[in-house]
Amino acid sequence: MRKNKDYHLTEPTWCKGCGIYSIFAALKKAAVALNQDPEQFVIVTGIGCHGRLNNYFRSYGFHALHGRALPVASGVKLSNPSLSVLGISGDGDAYSIGLGHFIHSLRRNINITYLVVDNRIYALTQGQTSPTSEPGFVSVSTPYGSKELSLNGPKLALASGGSFIARGFSGNPTQLSTLIEKGMKHRGFALIEVLSPCVTHNKVNTYQWFKKNTYNLDNDSDYNARDKMKAWKKLSKEKKIPLGLIYVEKRQTYEDVVFQKEAEPIVFNDLRVDVPRLEKIMEKFK
Amino acid sequence: MQKKGKMITDISVMIAGMAGDGVLFTGNVLAKIMKRQGWEISTYRDFPSNIRGEPTNYTIRASLEKIYGRADDIDVFIAFDCDSIFKHSERMAERGILLCDGEDFVWPSPSKSKARTYHKFPLRKLAIGNFGKEIFKNMIALGALCYILDLNFYVLERIISEAFLKRKGKEVVRKNIQAIHLGCDQAKEIVAPEGRYSLKRREDYDRLFLSGDEAIAFGALAAGCRFFAAYPICPASEIWQWLAVYLPQFNGLVVQTEDELAALNMVLGASYTGARAMTSTSGPGGSLMMEGFGLAGMAEIPIVIVNVQRAGPSTGMPTKTEQSDLNQWVYGSHGDFPRIVLSPGTVEECFEFIIRAFNLAEKYQCPVILLTEQDYGQGLRSAKKFDLSKVEIERGKLLNQEELIKIKDFKRYEFTPEGVSPRALPGMKNGLHMVESNEHDERGYRDENPENRIRMMQKRMKKLKSASKDLIAPKIWGKRDAEIGIIGFGSTFGPIQEAIVQLEKKGIRAKYLQMRTLWPFPSKKVEEFIAKSKKTFIVENNFSGQLSLLLKSQVRTPFDARNILNYSSQAFRPSEISTQIQRAL
Ligand SMILES: Cc1ncc(C[n+]2csc(CCOP(=O)(O)OP(=O)(O)O)c2C)c(N)n1
Ligand code: SF4
Repeated sequence: MRKNKDYHLTEPTWCKGCGIYSIFAALKKAAVALNQDPEQFVIVTGIGCHGRLNNYFRSYGFHALHGRALPVASGVKLSNPSLSVLGISGDGDAYSIGLGHFIHSLRRNINITYLVVDNRIYALTQGQTSPTSEPGFVSVSTPYGSKELSLNGPKLALASGGSFIARGFSGNPTQLSTLIEKGMKHRGFALIEVLSPCVTHNKVNTYQWFKKNTYNLDNDSDYNARDKMKAWKKLSKEKKIPLGLIYVEKRQTYEDVVFQKEAEPIVFNDLRVDVPRLEKIMEKFK
Repeated sequence: MQKKGKMITDISVMIAGMAGDGVLFTGNVLAKIMKRQGWEISTYRDFPSNIRGEPTNYTIRASLEKIYGRADDIDVFIAFDCDSIFKHSERMAERGILLCDGEDFVWPSPSKSKARTYHKFPLRKLAIGNFGKEIFKNMIALGALCYILDLNFYVLERIISEAFLKRKGKEVVRKNIQAIHLGCDQAKEIVAPEGRYSLKRREDYDRLFLSGDEAIAFGALAAGCRFFAAYPICPASEIWQWLAVYLPQFNGLVVQTEDELAALNMVLGASYTGARAMTSTSGPGGSLMMEGFGLAGMAEIPIVIVNVQRAGPSTGMPTKTEQSDLNQWVYGSHGDFPRIVLSPGTVEECFEFIIRAFNLAEKYQCPVILLTEQDYGQGLRSAKKFDLSKVEIERGKLLNQEELIKIKDFKRYEFTPEGVSPRALPGMKNGLHMVESNEHDERGYRDENPENRIRMMQKRMKKLKSASKDLIAPKIWGKRDAEIGIIGFGSTFGPIQEAIVQLEKKGIRAKYLQMRTLWPFPSKKVEEFIAKSKKTFIVENNFSGQLSLLLKSQVRTPFDARNILNYSSQAFRPSEISTQIQRAL
């Protein structure tokens, strides 16, 4: 049995009270529940406060470029599908500079889990407005208030063919670790957006604010996460933000479609030059 | 027996028209027949980036000797429109044959062209009149060319059957062959048998026929590339399209990504995981890849990037050739990091260098760029069969599980004398580490301490020095004691060699230094070459003389050099080089 400390490398140094602490804790808890070797985990992060996560988590880690966590994670998973691959981004990372990759990854449905740490602000760069900031949001970059609509990641994910869409909250670490565990078990691309207060730069979207403005779908026995229309409706209501498993479906993964059954992962291929076979192919250039 | 035409050893045929006229199809079939007669072939595509409605031309050059580019003159010219004639007739060889489809074709002024013989040849009218469809004009043209060039009709018929029988059936093949014979008969009426051209057929001939893009794709497969991700772009897509067919057969994968950012970053992820991975692109795509290029340098991830240069800047001229991305890859991306930039000059070198590229990338754990050009990237060339027994796969300091388990304290970025550190792959036991886009310590974890920064920077940059003896050295062609030195890279290979022959006929002796690695710069070899030349010329397809500028920054001794530049978006012709040298002396 794996223990929490197997995944704990060093003590994190986020600001005191930062929501990412509970994401770190939930991640370790989910890893314990999955009982997997740290060597089998690859965590790819983008640039932002969230990007420190794999500095503290004991596993293979890749701190990629701003917005590019998903393509790197996809390259890892497709080369060696036997690894558990997790991508982590901020709201700026995922929904602004990396938005193209977000939509296309959902479309592809590669078997990776993607956490979007949504603090509704650009934290690492000292508090600018982000795509999830609400209209009118005042920050150093929009001193007269944001003039743009905010972006709804899970709703966009549903429209883009997402096969697992969930939303967690740093204020509810138990639910969060369950969602991560479910997401990791899901065959296909699992999006988990995590509402996570930035106590230093975002004085609007605080723990209290999120508590007041969210409700939990997991407590709603009438809700069926396999019903796409229902999910759409929930995600379309402007007033309160739904938490929990929003939508899940069984869908072929990208790996199912592009690889032959029982094929060895690409990285285990024998690369020795098969001269007779290549000679035959060369004959076609005539 | 029918009379033979003039016996020659080198011939250039231009086929021109508007995009949509079937110029590419006609040219490719002609090139194939000529190749099967046992000649060396080099084709040159000058196509617009539109699908329809703009002038386009295709030159097929055949020779008994190996050739690597365009000739100065056009011997046979067939045009589907009149405008093309006005544009290119200046290039007609003395006594060349010119056929033009155009009722209203009037020679503009006799002095404008050396061509004495030109003929109206109503291709469109013949096609519609006899077969009811304009499309048959391509076959009629091929029939005429087959007669004029004294080619083997059976070869042509076989190629047509190969192309159409399975897809379109017997009837289509029959009609096409009929059209070929019509073309031949019509040509007979205007060109007498002795007015034709004849090349000696060669039987002992076994050559491949492929483009640089295809040679790269095939070479990558042989080199063990099993992961390829890219975004469509001219003139690099042929690499991808070839790999898309063959990689899956080798348990590999080709991914069409949403953009070049994704392509390069996926390749980074794949290579980090242990796959031999590559992407290919051209100008604008290369610009989008710059950030990831730096990450490969910083995180020491071995990747191969093929940049098939087109005419820039910006969207530029997507289907035309240029050598203006040298700066981009030698200097590009922010910050300092090691990279290796290779420049093949021929299709054969495309194959050879891509294999070297994969080995260099893994041995020195850095990005390797294969800088090629639209010219031979898309141009088809005859080539000697590649020697597959020589292909070696060197994976450098990549550890296997047994080796890794024995290491006491594994450090992915360990400081070593040569700067290259041992490499473990995700999934391996005892190899946990971090890959950082930030500056990092020996384990890969972020570290902004100035002392560490200095050591890490030196460690990474040291790899270039370690690689220097392993690189592809510049090659000297021609007589070593010749007083004129010519330096070039990439596709200027062919024109420079032919320019040297032209100069020799005028009593000027020249030699040529072919730059095959652009970075790290082989300063010593270049210095030696320059020192042994009275006058040096640097030949490049760009405006600012990018190689010349690089050279001047890397060569310590002052020297007298002149640039010969061509930024017309067209490849050099030999005489453009030889006359400029002559004039400058
Ligand atoms: C190409 C590029 N542009 C800009 C930056 C600067 N930058 C670093 S982090 C960041 C935004 C971070 O916001 P978010 O992704 O929401 O992460 P958070 O810090 O809030 O966790 C920006 C703009 C960068 N690193 N790279
Ligand atoms: S700045 Fe905000 S997001 Fe970043 S560590 Fe501090 S509280 Fe967390």
